[in-house]
Amino acid sequence: MNRSPIPLLVLTLAPALLGLAVFRAYPIGLALYESLYTTIGGERVFAGFDNYLMLLTDVGFWKSLRVTLWFNLIINPLQVALALALALVFVQKLPGMAFFRLLFLIPIGISLPVAVIIWRIVLLPEGFLNGALGIVGLGPYRFLTSPDFALYSIIAIATWKGISYWMIFLVGGLQNIPPEINEAARLEGASPWQRLWLITLPLLRPTLLFVLVADITINFLLFAPVFMLTGGGPRGSTNVLMYEAYKSGFVFGDMGRAMAIVVCLVALLLVIVAIQFRLLSSAPKEAK
Amino acid sequence: MPPILRKALIYLAIAAVAFVFVLPLWWAILSSFRPNEAIFRDLFPFTPRALWPEPFTLDAYVAIFERGFGTIIANTLLVAGLTTALGLIVNGLAGYAFALFEFPGKSAVLGIVVVSFMLPFEAIAMPLYSVVSQLGWIDHVAALVVPSVANGLAVFLFYQFFQQVPKDYYEAARLEGAGWLRILWSVYVPLSLPTCISAGLMLFIFQWEAFLWPLLAMPAQQFKVIQVGMAAFQDQYTTAWNQLFGAAVITALIPMLLLIPLQRYYVQGLAGSGIKG
Repeated sequence: MNRSPIPLLVLTLAPALLGLAVFRAYPIGLALYESLYTTIGGERVFAGFDNYLMLLTDVGFWKSLRVTLWFNLIINPLQVALALALALVFVQKLPGMAFFRLLFLIPIGISLPVAVIIWRIVLLPEGFLNGALGIVGLGPYRFLTSPDFALYSIIAIATWKGISYWMIFLVGGLQNIPPEINEAARLEGASPWQRLWLITLPLLRPTLLFVLVADITINFLLFAPVFMLTGGGPRGSTNVLMYEAYKSGFVFGDMGRAMAIVVCLVALLLVIVAIQFRLLSSAPKEAK
Repeated sequence: MPPILRKALIYLAIAAVAFVFVLPLWWAILSSFRPNEAIFRDLFPFTPRALWPEPFTLDAYVAIFERGFGTIIANTLLVAGLTTALGLIVNGLAGYAFALFEFPGKSAVLGIVVVSFMLPFEAIAMPLYSVVSQLGWIDHVAALVVPSVANGLAVFLFYQFFQQVPKDYYEAARLEGAGWLRILWSVYVPLSLPTCISAGLMLFIFQWEAFLWPLLAMPAQQFKVIQVGMAAFQDQYTTAWNQLFGAAVITALIPMLLLIPLQRYYVQGLAGSGIKG
């Protein structure tokens, strides 16, 4: 290692650090700052914690919070479980697997808005899925315009698009487990099911934790499907906080409320992530 | 369970999953080659002909390019290309500095850089709007490119790679009197080609898939990028199903053309970010 002249350091580090400071760190500070202001007749007025206090009694906010939490309570365990199942299949050494692996990776190349457009037409009352369900005499269902279905349709679309991406990380984790451990357990007579629960999953814990945390972060801030498909409706059933904040700031021009919601959302996210680290990484590390 | 039965079950599961992944895409692709009035034909009652592009026409593709989809693709390629080029230089330099130079507070700064990529862009998109409007960049291409150039994950990928390069290379080049820029250019850059591909792909795909940020930063929609352009298209031509499918197919096709040959590098880059787990 070298002690280096200061100008050299500045030249190499400054562009990246400056970029991160201005476009990552500063916006966080600005969100906190702007959440203390309100706009009255085009004038920005200092409001203290009024924006936050008003959220406390804001029925729309609480309903949106409930939708966000319910959405995340379903989608995150679902995505991680399916991604894990997919990863376990992905690493199987079977004839013809190379072809299937390629198929598993397809949704990674598809952006969420593309997935949304395709699924919107697939899910129409006269669309492909209702046509296919018609074979067994079901439907047609209004997947996107009924308050009973819309949120679950969004969950399905985001899951379809997301699990291959999370699978990649889990495949990486699975490949890091030395095959000798599984081999030894197999010789000792452990069933595949036992090996999964007693060896694979405990050794995969760090990767699982990473995937869970990263997945929750993405899903807490999910925006495109709600914007493109439902606009928060029908009857507020898909109005997640991210969309509520967007509407507040960019449709109704109330940036103070929008920033207060974003701050609450990110704070809530940090709390949930912290709890998860607590629960999952302090657990005893078997077999390590 | 007898091994044969187990194998059959696994194949069945694989086929079912592949089916769910591929079927909507296949329907989208074939529908983009049908005339609009034939999209929902053969579905009620469902016949296998619903899975074949017949009658076949290229009308949808002709129509979306007449409606300016070509410009949108060019815009997005410009934004993504610029971000990738600048991003490789800026983040590569930072990774090089972190790997080779010692300075006080280095590990703290590096830690912050690494943490910064755990916070997704969506979380700061709305306050970032205020930053960018203070800079006067709303509706300018700079609003899309500049904030995305510095990327903690890319810095980390370069740092990780440059650190593994034996220090002897650096020392030897120093002894021969080469300056740091020359060493970087003629020793480190050629070695780091795989990392450049990983980081470059990541930056490119990030821009190609960006949705919320371009939506906020370009309110006049004079300069449209692809995901927002597609969403606007969906609002404008609500029932031009075949054209919507065509636009979706093209939007998915371009990153696929990069990802399929380079998937190894993309996966390595992703896995690199998960290592610390």
